[in-house]
Amino acid sequence: MRVAGMAFLVAVLAASCVAVAQPKYIVLSDIAWAPFEWVSEKGDYLGFDLDVMRAVAILGGFEIEIRDTPFDSIIPAIIAGRGDIGASGFTITDERALVVSFSEPYWDSKQAVVVRAGSGLDLDKIVAPGRLLGAQRGTTGAFWIEDEWVPKGVTLVEYETYPEAILDLLAGRIDAVVQDVDPSKMAVVQYKGQIEIAAVVDTGERFGFLVPKGDPKGLLPKIESGVAELKRIGAWDLLIEAYFGPALGAIEAAWEKCISILLVDRDPLRYAQCLVAELSP
Amino acid sequence: MISSVWVEIAPYVPVLLRGLLVNIELLLGLISLGLVVGLITALIEVYAPRAMGWAAGAYTWFFRGVPEIVLLFLFYFGLSQFGVPVSAFFAAVLALGLRSSAYQAQIFRGALQSIPHGQMMAARALGLSRVRAIALVILPQALRLSLAGWSNEFSSVLKDTTLAWGIGVVEVMRQASYVRARNFTLTLPIYITVALMFLVLTYAGNLAIGLAERRLRVPGLEGHR
Repeated sequence: MRVAGMAFLVAVLAASCVAVAQPKYIVLSDIAWAPFEWVSEKGDYLGFDLDVMRAVAILGGFEIEIRDTPFDSIIPAIIAGRGDIGASGFTITDERALVVSFSEPYWDSKQAVVVRAGSGLDLDKIVAPGRLLGAQRGTTGAFWIEDEWVPKGVTLVEYETYPEAILDLLAGRIDAVVQDVDPSKMAVVQYKGQIEIAAVVDTGERFGFLVPKGDPKGLLPKIESGVAELKRIGAWDLLIEAYFGPALGAIEAAWEKCISILLVDRDPLRYAQCLVAELSP
Repeated sequence: MISSVWVEIAPYVPVLLRGLLVNIELLLGLISLGLVVGLITALIEVYAPRAMGWAAGAYTWFFRGVPEIVLLFLFYFGLSQFGVPVSAFFAAVLALGLRSSAYQAQIFRGALQSIPHGQMMAARALGLSRVRAIALVILPQALRLSLAGWSNEFSSVLKDTTLAWGIGVVEVMRQASYVRARNFTLTLPIYITVALMFLVLTYAGNLAIGLAERRLRVPGLEGHR
């Protein structure tokens, strides 16, 4: 009896060791920035960044917990040890690189200049004295206006969120909004006929995943080799195809059908293929 | 056109209510914490030796003087720097609860000081100890007089719970921003819906406090029409 008890105890201990062998890291993301990360109608967290993180975790042999955190709080939280990885479309900047460590860039993003449809504004007319340009506080759009265009006479109007800037644009209080191309395209689809993209500016912006300064847990090599592996097997391009283009509702439906292939079968390639197959007309 | 927007909002109402439940949980936590700490602080300010009174004064000065969002950051990021990894929810209850305690202390202090000093002397003359005089004579009157001011604080902190998203508590404003992120065109309607929810909540809360006030009324204590 006692021997059986001991054996049971040993078995439990061994099992718990196996469980511990799969470390768990907390991924922080501001999950309100489609199509990089957003919450579906049913309350699921999805988006390009988050699925890449899930796939990278599977390939790298670790578990993740995705935690929704305000964008401005993600870097402070990483510094304070409240999270391990920031995955929220972070532009790699020198300022940020002083306090956190970035992965290799995984995304090139340009800035779109969104104007009211039919306003007839082009870049030359927008970057002119007296113009009011909106952007979300703390984003590359805001920094770009501040550094490049304010000296040319425009005024920067900052907003807590991108949708608020669009609302003010529609209301005629500002002349244009500067924001990453992909969310801008989404806004143009949603406000059909009311707004349009007047120009695309290459700011040389690149996104990276971020970890605490100096990468004390050695996560960057795992993330980078995971991304490289996704690219090698072709899953990366399929994820891009699935997330950048289709309507959000359609992506949500496809995601719901396919996600078990990623989370249960742990097969990133077949998952990405499933997404694209579900989304193709 | 306008009615179609409300048809689009309808499926999101349960999600918003789930978020609102988190606000109510925050409210219950922070207002109870504020009640206990605020009452103790007020008693110290009025009755304790001067040095303790100063300490209590400094406490209320700090928590009334620092913006709520700063308090939230201090408690959430600050405590973890000292190796106390509080959850975002708990940090919000602490920060907003202690802030509320400072305001509630002022409400209770005003009420305590409005009870004529003669009552204390009379109670003492009848042989009650100071503590018993406060507990049995002063407090029952002072707490009744506090209710009106307290209902004000209730409405105020109920709305303050929406600040908790600043440190990552997924409450009703965050749920609203999920909806907005999916569909920009719902930005205004979704916030109008949230506003209506809070109007109903503050109305219900103040109604309940008003009922309690009437139930607990003692003839002659408060002024009457």
